[in-house]
Amino acid sequence: MKKSLVIFAHPYFEYSTVNVELIKIYEDSGKFEFKDLYEEYPSFHIPAFRERKRIRNFDRLIFHFPLIWFGLPPLLKLWIDEVFDTSWFSEEDHPLVKKDAIIIVTTGGKAENYSKEGLYETTVEDLLKQLTLSLKMFNIEVKDIVVLHNSSNLEHTELENISDHIRKKLNT
Amino acid sequence: MAENSLAITALIFLGAAIIMVPLVRKLGLSSVIGYILGGIIIGPFCLKLTGRGAADIMHTSEFGVIMLLFLVGLEIEPRKFWVIRKKIFGMGLSQVLLTTVVLFTIFYWANWRIDQAITVALCFSLSSTAIVLQTLKEKNIFRTDAGEASFSILLFQDISVIPILALLPIIAQKHDDHENQILFQYLPEWLQPFSIILGVGLLIFMGRFIFVPFLRFVSRSGMNELLTASSLFLVIGVSELMYSAGLSAALGAFIAGLMLANSEFRHELENQIDPFKGLLLAVFFVSVGSTINFNVIAQDPMFIFAVVAVVLLVKLGVLLGIGQFFGLKTNQNLLLAFALSQVGEFAFVLINYATNLYLVSPHLNAQLMAVTAITMCITPILFIINEKLIEPRLQLKKTITEKLEGITPQKVIIVGFGHFGSTVGRLLKANGIRATVLDSDSERINLLRSHGFKVYYGDATKPGVLRSAGAETADLLILCLDNPESNKLILHYATRHYPQLKIFVRAKNRLDAYDFLNSGVDHIYRETLGTAVQMAVDVLKATGMRAYAARRMGERFTLIDKAMVRKLAKEQLKDNITFTMKASFEREAELLAEDSQSFDETHWNDSEDEDYLN
Repeated sequence: MKKSLVIFAHPYFEYSTVNVELIKIYEDSGKFEFKDLYEEYPSFHIPAFRERKRIRNFDRLIFHFPLIWFGLPPLLKLWIDEVFDTSWFSEEDHPLVKKDAIIIVTTGGKAENYSKEGLYETTVEDLLKQLTLSLKMFNIEVKDIVVLHNSSNLEHTELENISDHIRKKLNT
Repeated sequence: MAENSLAITALIFLGAAIIMVPLVRKLGLSSVIGYILGGIIIGPFCLKLTGRGAADIMHTSEFGVIMLLFLVGLEIEPRKFWVIRKKIFGMGLSQVLLTTVVLFTIFYWANWRIDQAITVALCFSLSSTAIVLQTLKEKNIFRTDAGEASFSILLFQDISVIPILALLPIIAQKHDDHENQILFQYLPEWLQPFSIILGVGLLIFMGRFIFVPFLRFVSRSGMNELLTASSLFLVIGVSELMYSAGLSAALGAFIAGLMLANSEFRHELENQIDPFKGLLLAVFFVSVGSTINFNVIAQDPMFIFAVVAVVLLVKLGVLLGIGQFFGLKTNQNLLLAFALSQVGEFAFVLINYATNLYLVSPHLNAQLMAVTAITMCITPILFIINEKLIEPRLQLKKTITEKLEGITPQKVIIVGFGHFGSTVGRLLKANGIRATVLDSDSERINLLRSHGFKVYYGDATKPGVLRSAGAETADLLILCLDNPESNKLILHYATRHYPQLKIFVRAKNRLDAYDFLNSGVDHIYRETLGTAVQMAVDVLKATGMRAYAARRMGERFTLIDKAMVRKLAKEQLKDNITFTMKASFEREAELLAEDSQSFDETHWNDSEDEDYLN
C-alpha cells in the first residue's frame, strides 16, 4: 500500500454522522496519516512551508470532504491556494512529483439531482473540476472519485458497504 | 494505667492509628479497619493502654461525626442533588425502609422487645460513608453506575440519620432531658413542641444573613488562622446552639452545611474543617476499637455471629434486589451490594444515643458495637472475594458496560477571576461550560456573585483548597492569577499531585513562559503577546498595508514567536544561568535577527524544528 496522507476538511464535522463513521477507515489500519484541516488551522492561517515539506513524504493524497454549496470547503480551497505553487511547473523536484490521489466526497442531495438533466444541471465530477484540474497540472492521477449522496439519511448497512468499498480502493 | 493524662491518652490513640493504618493499607484494606484494629490492640483486651478515659474520648470524638455531617451538607449543592434525586430517593429510601422492615421482622420473630427491634433495625440499615467513599476512591470507581448508586444511597442514609435521631426519643417514649437544654426550658410551654421548626428556622435565617457576611468580614482581614478559627467556631457554635435548644447537634451541623453549600466559602470551609474531621474520626474509630468488649463476644459468640450473618445477608439481599429493580448491570449490582453491606459509623453514635435513652442495655450495647465493628471488617474481605472469584466470571459482561458508559463532561477549575480570568470564564459560560471558580478577593467575589457568577472564596496556593475544589476528579485547570509566582506554585503542586489535569496557564511575559515551558506545560498564554500583535497589525494597516496581508503577517509572527520561545526556553535550561537584563536584551536581538530570516522565503530549509517553517 502506498504511503497516504488524508486531507480531511469538514466545517461542520460535529453534525456529520456519516463522516464520523467513514473516518474510522483511516483509524483502523493505522497506515494513513490523517490531517483534519479545520481542527489544525481553525484560524485559517496555513503555514505553507511546513505543509510543503510534509507532503513530500507521501505517495498518495486522499482528499475527503463534503460539498459545501456545490464546491470545496473554503479551508481546503485555501490550503490548495497556499500550498500549491505555480513556480513548480518549471521545476523537476517539486513537492508534488510522483503522486496519485483519491477523492471522497459526501453530499446532502439526492444522486439523481446531480446530472445534466437533473435539478442541479451538472455532475459532481464537474463540480470537482477546481480540484481535479489543479491536480492534473502537477501530473497527479486521480485514481478514483467516491461520491456518497444523501449522506444524512444513509442506512447503517449501506454505510458499511460503502466503507468496505473505500477500504478496497485505498488498499490498491 | 488507669489515670493517664490527656496528652498521654492522645499520644497512645494517635500512635495506634499511625502504626496500624499504613500496615492495613499495605494489605489493601480501608483505613477505617486500621483504626479499629489499632483500637483493639491498645484496648483493655490486648495491651491495656487505655484507661477509663476511652469512653470519654469516644464521646468527644463523636464530634468528628458532626463535622462529617456538616461536610455532607456542604457537599449537597441543590443542583447536584436535583440531578440524582431519583436515585437518592428511589434507591436510598427503598434501601433504608426495606432493610429496616426485614431486620425488624427477623428480630421480632427472634423474640426481641419491639422497641429494641425497631431501634437496632434502624441503626443497622445504615452503611458506612467513611469506608465506602474511601474504597470507591481507592478503587477509582466513582464514576461508574455502582459508584453513583452507592453515593446516592449513602447520601440518603446520611440525611436519614437526622430523622432517626429525632425518632429514637419517641420510640423510647421519653424526652432526652439533659441539663444542657437551657434555651429549651426558657421557651414558653406552648412553643416547646415547635422547637425543631423554630431551631431550623433560626439556622436558615442565620445561614442567609449572618454566616456569610461574618465569613466575608473575617476573610477581608486576610489572616489564614482567623478563617480556620471562624470555621471551627461556626460548626461548634451551631451544634452547641442546637443542642442547647433541645435538638440534635448533627442536625444543626447538617443544616448549617446545607445553608453554606451555595456560598462562596464552600471550598474554603471544606478545606478548613476537613483535617479536623479526619483527625476526630480517626480518634473516634480507634476509640470504637478500644471499647469493643471481647468478653461479651466470648460469652455468647453464637448470638454475635448469628446477628452479623443475618445483617450482612439481609443488606446484601435488599441491595441486590434494588440494584436489579433500578436496572444495574450484574457486575455493578454486585459491587454496590458488597460495598454497602456493612453497618456504618452512625450506628456507633445511634446505639450510644439509644443506650442513653435506656432503649438498649449496656450489655446489648456492647454486643451491637461488636457486631458493627465485625461487619466493617468483613467488607474488605467481601471486596476481595468479588474481585478474585466473581468478577472474572462476569468479564464478558463487564466489557459491554464499559462501552456503554459514554463521554462524561469535562470538569474545569479556574483559579483567579480578575479581568483576565473572568474573560476566560465568560466565554466558557456562554458556551454552557460550568467551571468551578476560585478567587481570594472577597469583595470582588461579592460583586461577581451579584452578577450571577458562581465564584468561591479560596486561596488556591494552599494545597487543600485545590483538592476541595475537586482537583482529584477535574480534567482542566486554568490558572489566571495576576502573580506569576502564585501560578508557578500551583502549577508545580498540581502537576505533582494531580497528573491527570491538563493545565492552561497565564504568563506575564517571555521570561515566565520559559519557566512554564521548562516545567512541562504546553498551554501557555502570554498576555503581552496577543494584544501587542493585534495592535501591530492595526498599525501596519494604518501605514497603508492591505488588511488581509497585515493579518497574515500577524499570524505568522505569532507562530514564529511561539516557536522561538520554545527554542530559547530549551537553551535557557542548558545554560542554567539566571536571566539578567542584559542577557534578555541580547536574546531579544537574536530573536529579531531570526525573525527577518524566517520571513524571507528563500531561507526556509531543513531546520531542526518544524515549527519555524511558517
